[in-house]
Amino acid sequence: MNSITISNLRKTYGPIAAVDGFTIEIPSASVFGLLGPNGAGKTTTFKCMLGLTRPTSGTVLYDGRPLTPATLARIAYVPERNVLYDWMTVENHIEMNRRAFSAFDPARAVELLESFNVDKRRRVRGLSKGMRTAVMVALAFAQNAEVLVLDEPTSGLDPVNQRHVLSLMINEAVRGNAVIFSSHQIGQVERAAEQIAVMDRGRLVLQGLVDDLKGDRKIVEGIFPDVRFTLDGITSDPRVARADRTERIVRLLVTGGAEDIASRLSAAGATGVRVLDLNLEDIFLYAVSPTTSTDIVVKESSL
Amino acid sequence: MNYVEWLRVRNCLRIAAIILAVLVVLAVILRVSVARYMSTEAWIAHMALNAGSKETHTVLPDGTKRMMLDDPADRTHVIVDDHGYAGRHIVITEPSSREHEEHSHVNVGSIQVSESRHGDLTTTVVDTNGAVPMMYYMAIADLAALVVATILAAPLAREIDGHLEIALTKPISRVRYALGVIGVDVVGILAASFLTIVALYLCQLLFESPRLDFSGINARAVAMGLALPLAWYAMLCAATTWLSRAYGAVQGFAWPVAIFIGILAAIQPNNTVALFVHDVAWVISRLDPLSYVSMAQPALNGSISYADANFAFRMSIEVLLFVVYGALAVWQWQRVEA
Repeated sequence: MNSITISNLRKTYGPIAAVDGFTIEIPSASVFGLLGPNGAGKTTTFKCMLGLTRPTSGTVLYDGRPLTPATLARIAYVPERNVLYDWMTVENHIEMNRRAFSAFDPARAVELLESFNVDKRRRVRGLSKGMRTAVMVALAFAQNAEVLVLDEPTSGLDPVNQRHVLSLMINEAVRGNAVIFSSHQIGQVERAAEQIAVMDRGRLVLQGLVDDLKGDRKIVEGIFPDVRFTLDGITSDPRVARADRTERIVRLLVTGGAEDIASRLSAAGATGVRVLDLNLEDIFLYAVSPTTSTDIVVKESSL
Repeated sequence: MNYVEWLRVRNCLRIAAIILAVLVVLAVILRVSVARYMSTEAWIAHMALNAGSKETHTVLPDGTKRMMLDDPADRTHVIVDDHGYAGRHIVITEPSSREHEEHSHVNVGSIQVSESRHGDLTTTVVDTNGAVPMMYYMAIADLAALVVATILAAPLAREIDGHLEIALTKPISRVRYALGVIGVDVVGILAASFLTIVALYLCQLLFESPRLDFSGINARAVAMGLALPLAWYAMLCAATTWLSRAYGAVQGFAWPVAIFIGILAAIQPNNTVALFVHDVAWVISRLDPLSYVSMAQPALNGSISYADANFAFRMSIEVLLFVVYGALAVWQWQRVEA
């Protein structure tokens, strides 16, 4: 499978749009991170991708074709919540997947479960939350799928196993498969994903390669001697994507020419002006939280 | 085959088999307990005989043990031909009394009793180990099958309740998935029926050599006995799929509601309000497969005849209900979203 194309995806529940005109392209042989605050529409997007729910409008295409039952044979899915059968053993789940998916590798599933320290003979009802997540992850990665859709695949796992899951995801991408996953742990996304998309209130608010997003964006921060100050038109510069002010401190998110903006800020009377690199968490927070109660948004434009 | 549903069916059948095995064990205990009362000698020994009674034992050329009892005082003559495991043929000749009928023939399970009057004497012929009407077997098997059908009747609702992400991401169409699940349950219900018949047969085998009568009404009972639990299952399956959040309530209240509506539909009302309630209940009861199960037909003289005039109609309705309810369940399954 070469790519997954999601075009103008929209899903409404009554008057509420859970996903609103979402468009992305997920290439093969890559790890794609989908970020967003709670209720942003990540899980609904995944459900639309897998046919679990019908989009109100828009399309999801796999290699240019709509989803069919046959396509599902090539897709592995880890839902965000536990959907395993409590009364069944882990071994039963392996057998269930073996029968359902022709490419499923039971030996690989057992091997993965052992790496997560999960006893396959145990019933699911006796497993902890993390172990259940580990079972779902092991089943998905043993499926030999070309596309892995992982909705918070590290939820409940300890740091060692979280790292293990990230390694598995990267390995799948190396093998040529497409991995799309969501996580609230941005550090994990930064570590594993080559590309990200940030959703907020159903909409795509940011998309791109992680390195590009981080390289392009800087924070220029300065402190004015008094709370009364002017920025002398700095905020109208097209390179300034956003400006936040807290008392005497000004923070400017700039998408290029950070040194030049810093000089202009100094000229406006700011002291201690410095240029800061952004990590993915900063980028994410700027993308999804345009303001807080203490911040005054001077300017906001599309990131 | 749907593996998860197969596991559910297997668990259900395992419990059914354990219960039936307990029944067989109880039958074994009963058989051992009554063993010493089962020979003809033991039977005679427990009778209160008059002083002049004469008891004769012979063995016929075919090995049959014949016991003759003659009681001149009571003018009673009894011949018991004991064929061992193959049963007994008993002929009793005694003075007629008011309890004796002119001519009668009664079947109770494998025991056939016929009575005929000749002047002031009555001859009663008792044959044990006759063919047991399959209808009796099916009545009990149906009960077991209906219980199993009720337990299994929420396969799709159980998937909707927390497992849709697994069920709907399998590489088969939703229709095929639903039909597969229903198919597994149908096999399970029929297996429950079969297991019950086997258990009953074993129980009977402990006491005599069973022979089953499949003729006439019994054949119809077998057909109805297979169709009824499937139609009942399909009805509950549709209800649980449509009311998936309350599938447990549907399963739990299905029997009380069906019985209550059945009673309301059956009783003859004597006032307008009751008549209205009766009519509403009657209409609702038409949707219930249990309403079409009766093999009996009340005759004008108040007796019951096992007429088969409307059997084809009843069977057609059962099959139709199975198909329609099954289709409703599948249709709803196609509409569900996670």
